[in-house]
Amino acid sequence: MQVPETIFAMNDVSFRFPDDSHQTLSSVTFSINRGERVAISGPSGSGKSTLLYLLNRLYPMNCDGIVKGEIELFGKASELYAPGEINKRVATVFQDPDAQFCMPTVEEELAFTLENMRTPAKEIEKRIDRVLESTGLTHLKYVNIQTLSGGMKQRVATACALVMEPEVLLLDEPISHLDPLTAKEFISWLDLLQRRFGLTVIAVEHRLDSWGAFFDREIAIDRAGNIAEDREFIPHETLHYPARIKSVSDEDSLSAEGLSVTIKDRTLLLPLSFTSKKGECIVIAGPNGSGKSTLVKALCGILKKDSGTVSAHACGYVPQSPEFLFLTPSVSREIAFSGTSSAQELEELMESLRLAEIAEHNPFAVSHGQKRRVAIGAMLADKRNILFLDEPTSGQDQRALLELFHLIEERLISGDTVFIVTHDMEFAASVADSVLLLKEGHLSGMFPAEQIWEETDLLAEHNLLPPKGVMQLAESPA
Amino acid sequence: MRNLLHDMNPAIKFVMVTVVMLGLAFFFNPWTPLLFFFGVICLQLFFSRMDWKIWSLFMLPFTLGAFGYLWTTIVFGAETEGTVIWSLFGFEVTDEQWAVALSLAFRVLAFSSLSLLFALTTDPVRFVMSLMQQLKLSPKIAYGVLVGYQFLPVLKDEFFQIQQAHRLRGAATEKYWWQRLLGIRRVIIPMLAGAVRKAERSAFAMEARGFTGEARTEFYRPVRAGRLDMVMSLVIVALFVGSCVFGVYLSG
Repeated sequence: MQVPETIFAMNDVSFRFPDDSHQTLSSVTFSINRGERVAISGPSGSGKSTLLYLLNRLYPMNCDGIVKGEIELFGKASELYAPGEINKRVATVFQDPDAQFCMPTVEEELAFTLENMRTPAKEIEKRIDRVLESTGLTHLKYVNIQTLSGGMKQRVATACALVMEPEVLLLDEPISHLDPLTAKEFISWLDLLQRRFGLTVIAVEHRLDSWGAFFDREIAIDRAGNIAEDREFIPHETLHYPARIKSVSDEDSLSAEGLSVTIKDRTLLLPLSFTSKKGECIVIAGPNGSGKSTLVKALCGILKKDSGTVSAHACGYVPQSPEFLFLTPSVSREIAFSGTSSAQELEELMESLRLAEIAEHNPFAVSHGQKRRVAIGAMLADKRNILFLDEPTSGQDQRALLELFHLIEERLISGDTVFIVTHDMEFAASVADSVLLLKEGHLSGMFPAEQIWEETDLLAEHNLLPPKGVMQLAESPA
Repeated sequence: MRNLLHDMNPAIKFVMVTVVMLGLAFFFNPWTPLLFFFGVICLQLFFSRMDWKIWSLFMLPFTLGAFGYLWTTIVFGAETEGTVIWSLFGFEVTDEQWAVALSLAFRVLAFSSLSLLFALTTDPVRFVMSLMQQLKLSPKIAYGVLVGYQFLPVLKDEFFQIQQAHRLRGAATEKYWWQRLLGIRRVIIPMLAGAVRKAERSAFAMEARGFTGEARTEFYRPVRAGRLDMVMSLVIVALFVGSCVFGVYLSG
């Protein structure tokens, strides 16, 4: 039997950013063998990305971080590597599909990697064709990267990593910006590649439930930056949300009649009608480009509607990046911006959204979950009691998802109506009272949430995966 | 024939355009820039697939500017020597004044048409690659510019999204343009915050793919300089020299 070859070894490694007083990683010891598939898990801010960046030498060079302990890469101390040297053997794919490319087309992007490697010009074309063929992306060779979907961009980023024929592939939350179906396809594609190239794969991930049985080993890091566990990988169960108490009232909150949107002669939304109640949670789902955002923006009055009527109280909109809404340098002024609510009401609102403790903070500098609460607070303070949340689940870890769940539940109980645009059907199943399915600008229908999860075909038509926990959910008391 | 200006090596084209522009600055007679302006149009007619509609749109502000120069020099010019050639509404226009005014106006036209010739026949990505390969621009700057160029559409999207979000909050309803201009500041801040994060991510992604900023030796699509560039450079120089000689002759 072949003796496993150790490629990475960390011995009592601690890491601290120069401006921080606490250690991001403390006394981390582990080793990784060739051919392993390792998941590094842990809550946001636990230092798991830092660990990954120590393996490809992005850290400590780029942040002046202070490293203690020994890091050995391929049997050589990591500080002995020249800049760029390790990157020929260790390739990385990052999370943001929009911030990994510097050239217009796929072919030029691949060439960028090879030029960095000083590959002879004659070889470059051959290597590009070879990697495109083995990754099944040949048809994208001359395509402009910016026109591709997020899932395809991640595949191109992976191809750009593989083109240098590395021994190790590092993945930094590669699916956090992809919808579940695309993520599932990406993972099975990666599985195939790992087998073909015999790569060592190390991935930082907080949504391990999406990965099935991809990994053989899991290194869990805790909040203090210690290794909490280093064990054989067991497929993760999906996050269990608590059961929600229904709070739908009989009173209508919003009704749309024959609403349609046409911009520059392009019909983005065909006439559609539906009604929502107070205290109801409606999930809006459908493939990319099916008109979800258009619908939301038309209902909120951001886009001009072409025909139809919307009768509703004022609608509030929380974009995927809540900071897009912010106008002032402090949370309390942000909430009070419009001056619609009285001081008394504002105080109650701040209290109920737990914003009182950050009242004087700059809204741009608080955490993502807090930013969303500030945005929702600002909307409610404007007496906008119908809330539209655009992709609130994207890129969130389990704790953030649970927090979001409770936040939405509280709003529903107080009689607000919440619309959520999301691809995450597990989350949808946990909160939704009804589901609006859109496809190519056409409303397939508004379905009661209990029914839709069993209609696998209907979901598949809209590029959606049925929620994994649906059976348990059906059994649990409503 | 009609692709020659597009195919020309962008770095060489850039150098030629710059040199000619500097040279043009030394000629004060009205004829040289006028001849040169028409010459540039002819070059574009024969050697480029110029979209004349776009060209006209871009030329419009420059033409207005040129007319502005002409007008203000005539009306407010301090130069009052020479013989009066015509008078209108109490303004007396001398021949020298008229010559200076025309020369300034035609200069604006000549400079702007030459700039447009460069801008509208050059692919920005190829230009940066060529600057790196021919003029030894540092890859750090070159690829930095290219990444920024890739970000433009994303930033444009974000700009509109932020504006829409602000409008929803009742923040972007200022009446006057100067209020709106000040309001842009509020859009720019969240956009820059996002851009800084994106820039860092891009830098990491590039470095993880072995980019060190050192000068590179191998190019997948080398931007070459060859005979065509020599010929086209000669054509541009000939046009310049021709305009100078005839310009001086006609005004002398």
